[in-house]
Amino acid sequence: MKQIVAGLAFMLLPSAGVASPESYTFDPRHTFVHFGVDHNDFSTIWGRFDRSSGKFTIDRQAKTGTLEVVVETASVSTGDGVRGDRPRSRDEHLRSPDFFNSAEFPRMLYKASTVKFNGEVPVELQGQLTLLGVSRPVTLAVDRWKCAPHAVTKRMICGGNATGALKRSEYGMKWGIPATGDDVKILVTFEAIKD
Amino acid sequence: MQDWLIHPVVQGALLPFLAGLVASALLAPLRLAGLAAVAGFATAVYLVVGFEFSPMTTIRKVMLLGLIAPVLGVAADFAFKPKRAMAPLVAVASGALSVWVFLAVLTQKELADALLIGGGIAAYVAWQVGFTLSLHEDSVRAGAAGLALGMGTGVAAVFAASATLGLYAMALGSASGAFLLVQMLTGRRILAGIAFTLTTGLLAGLLGATTYHLAQLPWYVLAVMAPVPLLARLPIPAKWPVWGQAVALSGATLTVSAVACYLVWLSSRGISE
Repeated sequence: MKQIVAGLAFMLLPSAGVASPESYTFDPRHTFVHFGVDHNDFSTIWGRFDRSSGKFTIDRQAKTGTLEVVVETASVSTGDGVRGDRPRSRDEHLRSPDFFNSAEFPRMLYKASTVKFNGEVPVELQGQLTLLGVSRPVTLAVDRWKCAPHAVTKRMICGGNATGALKRSEYGMKWGIPATGDDVKILVTFEAIKD
Repeated sequence: MQDWLIHPVVQGALLPFLAGLVASALLAPLRLAGLAAVAGFATAVYLVVGFEFSPMTTIRKVMLLGLIAPVLGVAADFAFKPKRAMAPLVAVASGALSVWVFLAVLTQKELADALLIGGGIAAYVAWQVGFTLSLHEDSVRAGAAGLALGMGTGVAAVFAASATLGLYAMALGSASGAFLLVQMLTGRRILAGIAFTLTTGLLAGLLGATTYHLAQLPWYVLAVMAPVPLLARLPIPAKWPVWGQAVALSGATLTVSAVACYLVWLSSRGISE
């Protein structure tokens, strides 16, 4: 009898593992938040934040999940960090009160608790972005998603890309509009390691 | 038209100057010409980002106080004859108020740093308010102080990476220049009063301190700007015409502002770092 119970328990274990929510922590070396803004109607200038941290949980059976990402605004980089002949570089200007106001608002936060799935794959995140003290809904589409054990460490890793958009003026960031666009494209490239 | 209105020179200098000019000329007979300063400042705020006060960020607190100061000033100008103790008392109150303005920034620092920086900033704001306020009975000296404080703080802020703060301060300077110009052209003094001096002293102090906190203004630039209202008290012959007094006093105060701006430029080049 004991053997039968033990056998049944063994058979149930894998499915129980899949059904339970899994928790992942973003790998800061492979997770970046990028943004693109129109410049004078000529081109799109892309920048990124070099430092971010966060976690997500996913339950593929229940089709639920949560996400929390903290981005350090002072880590903004647009490839223009050297002053040259100017008093300040563009990255320094972006940290100023004209844009991210990093001294007063050193972090921005994205929290999502609604996740849409296509099968077992998350395809959309609905959450709130808090920037410059203003919280507004932002939806991110998960364009790419893969979970697999790392080739070397064998630890489970999930990675992918997510895209979205927002209007910076809605967060009170109005300097330079319309020469520097109001519409901001967001691209998040991420890899997260299972806890 | 829209392209014209979003030009920084129009937002921070031209239209604030016109607003200051109109306010000075039209309101002088009503003894309200001191509102010229807030007319220029409010014009720039409207054009640059508009009047929004939620959430109450540091810059929005400065905006709010900049709009409240002239109201209190007008009330004081009409309600009572200022006594000698008024300037120091209002200065201390303004210094204390600056702690509230920068609370969100100060609370992110270590206690020792917060006390040192908060105390230094409160002293700077109190100094600017106190010594600018003491010029309330001499509209030419008050105008010269406002012109140099606004222009100096504004250009320094632009060099220190904040165009918004720069335009606000330059608008204050432009409106003060208009206030001075009306007196130079008519050859007659108009009432500056507490409405003008409290607005210029408080806004210049707070905008300078905000640029230090939120942009990259070196602290010693504020120290260089501090003597501006004192220089506006330079003794000059009373028999000089108004335009002569205005030119002499503005020359003295603007020289100090120019030195402050030069120091910011040097620091941005890494020369004093």
